[in-house]
Amino acid sequence: MAPGAVTEAPAAGETSRRRPRSYEALTGYLFVGPAVVLFCVMGLYTVGYGFALSFATWNGFTPNWKWVGLDNYADLLWRSPVYAPRVRNAALNTLWVMISAPALTVAVSFPLAVLLNRVRRFQSVLRSVYFLPYVTSGVAVFFAWQYILQPDGAINALLGSVGLGSLQQPQGWLGNPSTALPTMIVVTVWGLVPVAMLLYLTGLQSIDRSVLEAAELDGAGWWRTNASVIWPLVRPITAVVTLLNLRESLQGFQTFLVMTNGGPGDHTNVLGLEAYRLAFLKQLAPTLGLASALGWILFAAALVLALINLRALRSRT
Amino acid sequence: MTSTSLAARPGPPDERAARTRRLVARSVVGVLLALYGIVSVYPFLWMVSAAFKNQIEVVRGGHLIPDDPTLSTLVDTWNKLHFFDFFLNSLLVTGYTVVLTLVIYAAAGYAFAVLRFPGRGFLQKLFVSLLFVPGITVMLPIVLLENTLGLLGTHFGLVLPFVNGGAPLSILLMTGAFAAVPGELRDSARVDGAGELRIFASVYLPLARPALITVALLTAIPTWNEFLLTRVSLNDPSTYTLPLGLQTLSAENVPHYNNLMAGALIVVIPVILLFLSLQRYFVNGLVGAVKG
Repeated sequence: MAPGAVTEAPAAGETSRRRPRSYEALTGYLFVGPAVVLFCVMGLYTVGYGFALSFATWNGFTPNWKWVGLDNYADLLWRSPVYAPRVRNAALNTLWVMISAPALTVAVSFPLAVLLNRVRRFQSVLRSVYFLPYVTSGVAVFFAWQYILQPDGAINALLGSVGLGSLQQPQGWLGNPSTALPTMIVVTVWGLVPVAMLLYLTGLQSIDRSVLEAAELDGAGWWRTNASVIWPLVRPITAVVTLLNLRESLQGFQTFLVMTNGGPGDHTNVLGLEAYRLAFLKQLAPTLGLASALGWILFAAALVLALINLRALRSRT
Repeated sequence: MTSTSLAARPGPPDERAARTRRLVARSVVGVLLALYGIVSVYPFLWMVSAAFKNQIEVVRGGHLIPDDPTLSTLVDTWNKLHFFDFFLNSLLVTGYTVVLTLVIYAAAGYAFAVLRFPGRGFLQKLFVSLLFVPGITVMLPIVLLENTLGLLGTHFGLVLPFVNGGAPLSILLMTGAFAAVPGELRDSARVDGAGELRIFASVYLPLARPALITVALLTAIPTWNEFLLTRVSLNDPSTYTLPLGLQTLSAENVPHYNNLMAGALIVVIPVILLFLSLQRYFVNGLVGAVKG
C-alpha cells in the first residue's frame, strides 16, 4: 500500500468532513492564543531585547544605548583587564562544577537506585526521603546548609565526635578558600541526586526480567550483572541525567548566590553569578550590555552541550 | 525441554551458607540505604533542631535534640518578623501562577493535541525551544520590560514571567495527556451537538485530571521557592514572599540562626506536605517530562 494513498489520519478526515477546516483552525488559534501572546511578550520580546542589548552599553537609566558591536563579547572573553580575568576565573570554577557534579551525581544515584530497587518494604518511604532535597530546593535549605557548615556548626561537630577532628574546618567549610568550592559541589550534588535516582529507578524497573534471569543462568554474580548487563542497559538514562546536570551546573547559580555570594575572594564565583552581578548589582555602571553578552555566551555553551549530548545519544541507539 | 543449567544447583549443605550470605547482603544494603537517608535529611534535622532552640543555645551550638526546647522561636518568627505576611504573599503569587498556568496551557495543550491548524508544529517547537534559553539570559530584559510596563515590584509582574517560564513543561504534559484521550469521544460528543469549548471542558478536562494535578504541582513548588527574579523585582518589604523575607533575616549583621531556621521551616513545611500527599502525580510527571 502506497503511503500517499492514506494521507489523512482517519480522525482528522472525519472531522474535516463534518465541519469546515477553517472553523477548526480558528478554534485552534483561539485555544493557543493566550499562551502565544504571553510567549511573544515574555519570551520572544525579551530574548530579542537581550540579544540587541548585548551589542550595546547602557546603565539602565540614560535614555539611549551606545552601540558597540562585538565589544562586549571581546571585553568579556579576552580584552578588558577588569572583566576578562573575572570571567576566566568564574569559567574555571564553573568548569570544575560541570565536571565533578554530573560525575558524582551519577556515581551516587545509580548505585543508590540499584540498592533501592532490591528492597520491597521500605522502598516508597525511602524514595520520599531521598526526594526531599529536590522538593525543598531553595533559599531555605541553602541557609540550613550554611548553618551546619559554619565553624561551630554540625558538620565540624560530627567530625569531632567520630574521631576525625583533623578534618574539621576552623574557618568553616565555606570560609576556607580551598574547601569552599568542593563543599559547594557536594551541596549541588546533594540537590541533583533525587531526580537522577528517580530516573534510574524507573529505568531499572522497566528492564525485562528475562534479561536478568539469563545473566543469572550464565553464572554472572550480582556485581557482574550490574556492571556488564544493567549499566549498559540504562545508558540512555545516564545520558539524560548527564545533560540535565551539565545544564544545571552551567547555568544554576542560586545556591552560590545564597550560600557564598562567590566568596571567599571569588573562589566560588561562577558564570551565572557573574552575569547576575553585572546585570543587577552594579548600580550606575554601564554593565547591562556586558551582562546580556555573558548570558548569550552561556546560552551558546548550553546549546553546544545539548548538541553533543544528542549526538552521543543517537550514536548509541 | 532443556535440563542443562539445572546441574549447577547448590546442594543442601550449601543452602545454609547461601542463606547467611543473603542475610549479610541484605543488612549491608539496608545500612547503605539508611546512611544516604540520613545524608538526605541531615540539613533538615538541624533546621528543625535550631527552630526549637532559644537564642543562647543556638549560639552555643550544642546537640541535635535541644536541651531546652521552646516554641517561642517559631511564634516570634511568625508574628514579629512578619512571616505571616510573607506567607500570604507567597500564597498569592503561587496561587495566581498555578491557576493561570492551568488555564492557559490546558487550552494550548488541547489545541496542540486535538485541533488541526496551520503552523501547529512550528508553534509547538517554538515553545519547546524556550527550554534552552538560560533563565539568566532573559532575566534582565524581563525586569527592564516590566519597569516600562509599570509592573515591576507588583505580584502580577512576577506571575507573568513565572507562567511563561513553565510553558514548555506544562505544554508537553498537557499535550501528552490530551493526545491519549481516544478521538471517538470527541466525535460522539460532536454528534450530540457539543461545541469545541463544551468538548474541551466536559470531556477532555476531567479525563486529564492527573496531568492537571501534575502540572499544578510542578508549577507550585518552584514558584513557592523562587528567589532570583523575586529578589530583583520586589522592593517594598510588605510585598516580600517567604524566600525574600528569609533572606532579609540572614542579611542582618549577626544572623540569628534560630529565627532563620524557624523561617526556613515555615518555607519548607507546606512544600513537604504538598509533595507527600500528591507524590504519585509528582513522580509520574517528572518521569514523563524527561522522557518527553
